[in-house]
Amino acid sequence: MNQERINSVLLGITPIVLFIALWQSLISFGFAPTSLLPPPGAVFGKLAKDFFNGDFLHDIAATLIRLFAGFGIAVVVGVFIGLAAAVSPAVNAVVKPLVRVLAPIPKIALYPALLLILGFDHASKITLVTADALFPILLSTYYGASMVEQKLIWSAMAAGTPRWQILFKVVLPAAMPSILTGCRIGLVISCIVVFLAEMITSTDGLGHMLVQAARTFQTVDMFVPLIMISMLGLILNSLLHWLRSYLLRGFPEV
Amino acid sequence: MTVRGVLKTLSPLFACIGLLCVWQIASLRLDTESFPTALESIKAIPSILGDKGSLLNILDSIRRMAIGLVLAVMFAIPLGLLMGRIKAVAAFFNPLMMIIYPVPKAALMPIIMLWMGVGDVSKILVIFLGVSLPIIYHAFQGSKAVEEKMLWSGAAMGMSAPMRMLRIVLPAALPEILTGCRTGLVLALITMITSEMIARQSGAGNILFNSLDMAQYDTVFAMILIIGAMGIIFDAAFEKLRLSLVRWSQPRDDMPLSFT
Repeated sequence: MNQERINSVLLGITPIVLFIALWQSLISFGFAPTSLLPPPGAVFGKLAKDFFNGDFLHDIAATLIRLFAGFGIAVVVGVFIGLAAAVSPAVNAVVKPLVRVLAPIPKIALYPALLLILGFDHASKITLVTADALFPILLSTYYGASMVEQKLIWSAMAAGTPRWQILFKVVLPAAMPSILTGCRIGLVISCIVVFLAEMITSTDGLGHMLVQAARTFQTVDMFVPLIMISMLGLILNSLLHWLRSYLLRGFPEV
Repeated sequence: MTVRGVLKTLSPLFACIGLLCVWQIASLRLDTESFPTALESIKAIPSILGDKGSLLNILDSIRRMAIGLVLAVMFAIPLGLLMGRIKAVAAFFNPLMMIIYPVPKAALMPIIMLWMGVGDVSKILVIFLGVSLPIIYHAFQGSKAVEEKMLWSGAAMGMSAPMRMLRIVLPAALPEILTGCRTGLVLALITMITSEMIARQSGAGNILFNSLDMAQYDTVFAMILIIGAMGIIFDAAFEKLRLSLVRWSQPRDDMPLSFT
């Protein structure tokens, strides 16, 4: 078992090592000039050095604030509306057509409108992240909640649980696996969108760093924010994974 | 069809009208130069669609998106299926995918532009990268969940391994794959618009952000309406395709939970 695990980890590291080796060899053998493709050593060195740089930390903080604020609002609103739509036919009748119209719109196209209405500050970016992360969470909450077995609700009622408590004690936990899947999709989309929004107009944040570097043709600096956002995504994803295995303890493996 | 059924099919239309009304009222209340009313924006749509240059731009965008999407589907589904069935392949690609997934693909645009120029190739490549990952991921999940017994029965009836892949794993994983394709479609639109925003050369995103920079606010909002409509139309078309492919896997018509 253990040997197997080591093997699979080794196998997983191989393509990453190969990728970096290919990257390095493209430069070493002179296929790509360093001005277009900086060597990996330089990029990771710069990344390590930047960690002691206040501006870089400030950029990361700005991105994280927008990411968390937008994603947090999306989770709360999405779960709330999703549950309400699954439970109440009246809410369902209103929400369903709205979602069918709004969900497939590429939200990034709304960004210019948000800029004009909300200004260039945090608010427009947070709204955009919320708008993009909301629908996966809302839809999976709705599906998860409407798949809850009717028998569970009836037994809870027979046991004398008040109606509104059933929502939190039966429906919400039973829908949890589906909600968390939605959150995972929402999180990845949030990472992508916050970066793009910062690339379009911003004065700080990782996306701004990339655009700034591209304008001044600093190729090394262009790779640093990209690696950073990928690392942030990985860290957040594993946090969510950890949260999932904590919340779903006792569930059969999903 | 009953009155109820008609109401149900028309409900998205009512939703559209309702949203436009909210917009109209909000912009009348705010009354700022930069937030035109819904009516003004709708009036600006014919002038964009009537203009040959802009229309060609929009068609260009759609063409690039379609090419990127088709390439991604052709590449991602086989890879995802293989990952789901063969452990070693999954162990090989999974960590790499985890690293690449949260990177916004459109953010690679400035770098890819340095290598391949601002033309079609770099935009299609970016769309391809963006769409591939969700499809790979869902195809992987779908094929991993295929019931082992079906594969055994297939093998017992003398199907070869590639045949089993094609005749058992692919159909069984299809609902999940199509979920991935739907996410991919949304991401393709996002990537299309942002890549055009970064490499302002042609396309719908180019018109949108150029008019924003030139403060032609009614064009901005009209473009938003057009792109939104594109999203809705693509999604509806895809939904139709999906239903015709996997009608068998649809759950019963969903009823609200009953508390009585």
